[in-house]
Amino acid sequence: MIAEVAWLCFLFPFAGALLSPVLARIHPKLRDYGAVFFSFLAALSSVMFIPYLFHPSKLPIESAFVWLTTPIELRVGVLIDPLSIVMANVVAVISFIIMVYSLGYMKGDPSLTRWWMWMNLFIGSMLLLVLSNNLLFLFVGWKMVGLCSYGLIGFYYRDEKKYWIGGPSPTKYCTPSHAGLKALVVTSAGDVLMLGGILIMYSYSGTLNILELYETSSIWIPEMAKSSGMILLASILLLAGPIGKSAQFPLHEWLPEAMAGPGPVSALIHAATMVKSGVYLVARFIPIFFYGYWVAGCSEASYFFILTAWVGAITAFLAATQGMVSLELKKALAFSTVSQIGYMMLALGVSGLTAPSLMGGFTSGMFHLVNHALFKACLFLCAGSVIHTAHSIYMNDMGSIRKYMPFTWIFMFIAALSLMGVPPLPGFWSKDAILVSCLEAHNYPLFLLALITVVVTSFYTLRFIGMVFHGSESKNVEKLKQKGTHLGEAHRTMVGACGVLAITIIVLGIFGLPLEHLLGEGFGYTMEKLHLPVEHATEHSMPHLLVPLLSVISVVIGIVPAYLLYISRKIDPEGMLEKYLTLKVLHKFFWNRWYIDRFYYMFFVGGMTKLFTSVPKYIENPLDKLFHKIIPSIPGRLYDGGRLILASKYGREEVEGAPEEEPVVGISIGLALLLVLFCIALYLIAMFIRGWLISP
Amino acid sequence: MIPYILFQITAVPIIASVFIFLTRPRLGEKAGWIVGITLLYTTALLCMVGIRVYQGTIIYEEYPLAPAVNFNLLADGLSIPVALIMNLCCVVLAFYSIHYVGHRIEVIYGEVDKETWLMYYTRFFFLFPFFSTGFMGIAFSTNLIAMYFFMELLTIIPLYFIMAQFGYSDFIERYKVALMCLFWGIAGATLFLIGILLAYTQIDSFEISELRTLSGNPVITWIILCMLLGLFSKLAIFPLHVWMPWVHAEHPTCIAGLLAVYANIAAYVMVRVLILPLYNDFKVFGIPIMVLALVTMVYGSLLAMAQNDVKRFAACSTISQISYSVLGLSALTIWSIEGGLFFFLSHIMGKAILFSTAGILVYVTGIRDMREMGGLASRMPITATLWIMGAMMLSGLPPFSTFAAEWIMFTGIFMFGAHGPSIALIVAILGVSAVGLTIAYTFWSAKRIFFGPLKPNLSNDEIRDPPLTMCVPLLLLAVVSIILGLYPKPIMDLFHFVIGGVI
Repeated sequence: MIAEVAWLCFLFPFAGALLSPVLARIHPKLRDYGAVFFSFLAALSSVMFIPYLFHPSKLPIESAFVWLTTPIELRVGVLIDPLSIVMANVVAVISFIIMVYSLGYMKGDPSLTRWWMWMNLFIGSMLLLVLSNNLLFLFVGWKMVGLCSYGLIGFYYRDEKKYWIGGPSPTKYCTPSHAGLKALVVTSAGDVLMLGGILIMYSYSGTLNILELYETSSIWIPEMAKSSGMILLASILLLAGPIGKSAQFPLHEWLPEAMAGPGPVSALIHAATMVKSGVYLVARFIPIFFYGYWVAGCSEASYFFILTAWVGAITAFLAATQGMVSLELKKALAFSTVSQIGYMMLALGVSGLTAPSLMGGFTSGMFHLVNHALFKACLFLCAGSVIHTAHSIYMNDMGSIRKYMPFTWIFMFIAALSLMGVPPLPGFWSKDAILVSCLEAHNYPLFLLALITVVVTSFYTLRFIGMVFHGSESKNVEKLKQKGTHLGEAHRTMVGACGVLAITIIVLGIFGLPLEHLLGEGFGYTMEKLHLPVEHATEHSMPHLLVPLLSVISVVIGIVPAYLLYISRKIDPEGMLEKYLTLKVLHKFFWNRWYIDRFYYMFFVGGMTKLFTSVPKYIENPLDKLFHKIIPSIPGRLYDGGRLILASKYGREEVEGAPEEEPVVGISIGLALLLVLFCIALYLIAMFIRGWLISP
Repeated sequence: MIPYILFQITAVPIIASVFIFLTRPRLGEKAGWIVGITLLYTTALLCMVGIRVYQGTIIYEEYPLAPAVNFNLLADGLSIPVALIMNLCCVVLAFYSIHYVGHRIEVIYGEVDKETWLMYYTRFFFLFPFFSTGFMGIAFSTNLIAMYFFMELLTIIPLYFIMAQFGYSDFIERYKVALMCLFWGIAGATLFLIGILLAYTQIDSFEISELRTLSGNPVITWIILCMLLGLFSKLAIFPLHVWMPWVHAEHPTCIAGLLAVYANIAAYVMVRVLILPLYNDFKVFGIPIMVLALVTMVYGSLLAMAQNDVKRFAACSTISQISYSVLGLSALTIWSIEGGLFFFLSHIMGKAILFSTAGILVYVTGIRDMREMGGLASRMPITATLWIMGAMMLSGLPPFSTFAAEWIMFTGIFMFGAHGPSIALIVAILGVSAVGLTIAYTFWSAKRIFFGPLKPNLSNDEIRDPPLTMCVPLLLLAVVSIILGLYPKPIMDLFHFVIGGVI
């Protein structure tokens, strides 16, 4: 029964996407509520899996049908295990809340049918990704969410100036259609490499079924290890996909521009769900590589964890620093998303650095994923409401919005506290767990980097809260007031959706520890069933006391300057920059996103442009000339040459010249090539006739 | 079972063609519908044959002509899916042409009287069915001479005459390109013929099934080389691709879609004539062809990126895409060969859509330069959808069949790469990465043409989606591709009946 529900869980949104144009013909309201209803059905289906988290012994449940038998045998279906239950619920429930929010946010948009189609297609694809029992259909979902992301970032495809992201001048702007293309191309670069990794894995394992991959790893991993470098190669290729999709360094540069999409898109796709698919996939691969390293003893398998952990830690720090200087509200949140996903990657990476850190790293990474999905969705939805009201994407066009949007302020503040890691909100529990995992893995550089990032995180979080809601009103707000623009809370569905998320954050905070325990139990059971050496972490009294303390101190270290600069405004940030050259240089460095984006544009876009403009010039045109001018002109030249020789022999000064260029391109190629070819053909035909006549 | 069913499938289009020729003053504009309905009939017959073949029956019809030469026709798991999809492309483009060709005549010949207009119109549809006959003949032939005959038939009758009379550019340029197409076609086919005749000197037979007796023969390398060179010039493998941008770009777009079939069918010939009968002898060519295919894939993508002409863009993309099938075939594993053939079929569907959409753009706007386009999605949403679908099909994105095909094909290529020489693995990784280039150039073109603000020169009321007879067939083709993408089992089973039995 529950397997059928899993099928329905992703089929409902697909049905919703297909039916939207039909319902639109009947009545626009039917289309709107119909679309939300289908996402509700998906959420309801996913909630029905939750009881199984309390009974992990009944898991995994798999239901599949034969999709292909030749040349590859593949049974396509759904897999319900603790990981997919967690992900399906995160995706389906948050999607439903954001769909409700969209009712208000997108009200009156002329392209609503397209909107609902893309949104439901995205939800269905994302659920297919997390519920698939095999890597192929996981990849199908993976590609489809990428496509939906492209369609939704570029939703305002007419590229009106009000939808541009970036700036203010002289910083360059980015149009929605450009941002969509950028996202698609960058993530696809990772995707195609990941496909290569999956296929290398298949070429040794002979299966794409996730459970079979786990179960047969004792056979195929040692086999794979016999080819030196193969596991390392597979690791790099497999990680390319998650690095691209989850916007991790070095493929992280697409996400800030992806904020050109409508608010709910940023909340749903580029904060709560799609960008987490990379984390989910890494989590899926962990049992395989953990087995390879810690059981089969293949040292190359350790690179999977090392790479994941370091990519995560570097990204967490790098993106957080960029969040500190961002002027656009959604972009600040985007940098924060990149940074927080970095934390999740770090946790999953450290899970394989030592044998006992498996459960701690794995659980803390996934727990942070759940928490982050909630508080970042809430932050983005609130940001959408604020931008809606302030009619500007820039935070310095806001200020003192609190008095106009008190509910939005409360909800956003709760989510912000969770992002900072203030106890007892869920962000604190999961971030604390990640820090503990780093310590358990005895990797102190990673721990230190993660801790510094906590400081930076709390700084940029309080900065955007201060710039938006506190301080004095900006000129823009004053101008809006003068114009008589309504400055107040957004549509009730929008406020309601943010409220539900904020309350859920508080509830999750209160029950944070039991929930972490529940997840740990579920994941632990799965790992034990796979015969992985699950060692529950020994009680480290010292780190367990030290880590929360260090974490809270780090938060305070970040909060204090941010409070003075952006809430109490006792210090002028501009003045600080003018006063201290180092700060100014750092600000410029972070504002230019460590010059990585600029480098990519120069190296990849500029390089590629140079390359493809050179191809016609240096290769195609000369080849064209060779085949269509030089070769065909050979008979003519021979003829001219002959005439010249004759002329010199008989003492004539000048020969009446033949036309310089061949009048009909291609005629002479027939003379030159076909003559030779037909001679050979005629010879062979003669042989054929001879053989025919001689044969009895 | 209908008698002479394969013969009917091959010959009925020509009968329709003769009928149009004889009755053209009376038929008038109905000629297009007659071609469309005839091809629908042959498609129905192909479906019937397909069901029989899927049930395990092999259909073989004998039509002897002379000693050693015959027109025997064979429908097996390999030929029937290829024939069916190719015929489907012909059907779709025949219906698309009904509206398009009228427009083309007006553009080329200006305001002519009704009689002259009808003369050109019926002439086009008199020539069109030869495509179907040529494709079916190549797919079903069991004799190498018959196969060569159908190759030449395609080159000489429909391609040359349609290009010369209905192509783009001015009169001189049209004939130039038509001649170029003719000479390249003949040159390729002649090289193929040399291979055939060389083979005959060794086995005293033109039957494809007899080729396997050549195995181990010292002449085999030369035979394969000659045939391969001939096929490469048709497949537009670098550097024998130079004809493709000219020929594809200047043909009327309804034919440009079929040109992709014309070029890509050489992949089928490669499997039927070289890989299956001469599998072991062909192995030595595997890696060099893989490298060549990879070079062409990347080169074609870069060339496509450099284009501003919307038709030339699609042409350059064909150069790149055909090489995907070649890469699959040359990896010589069961997965890569079956996937490569499936990719060929998926690609021709995608290319038929993309080329035809390019035709729609030229038809509606009268512009070929993408730099002068922009923002058309707001005026032509169905056309934009079709272009995006075409882009998705070329980029191997689900749910279209190119995704499934690419996956099966690359599985085989990686199988070979992981367990074979290192260079094969490098080619496999670079090959799969090249898909990223396809995504970049196809979606970039979508952005250039359809997104952004509407260009002022396009803001008149005449800029809108074309008539349904042009859009609906293409949408139906996209639906077929989606069905095959969601459930590729029947087509893969059919291929496996034949290929699985040999490899």
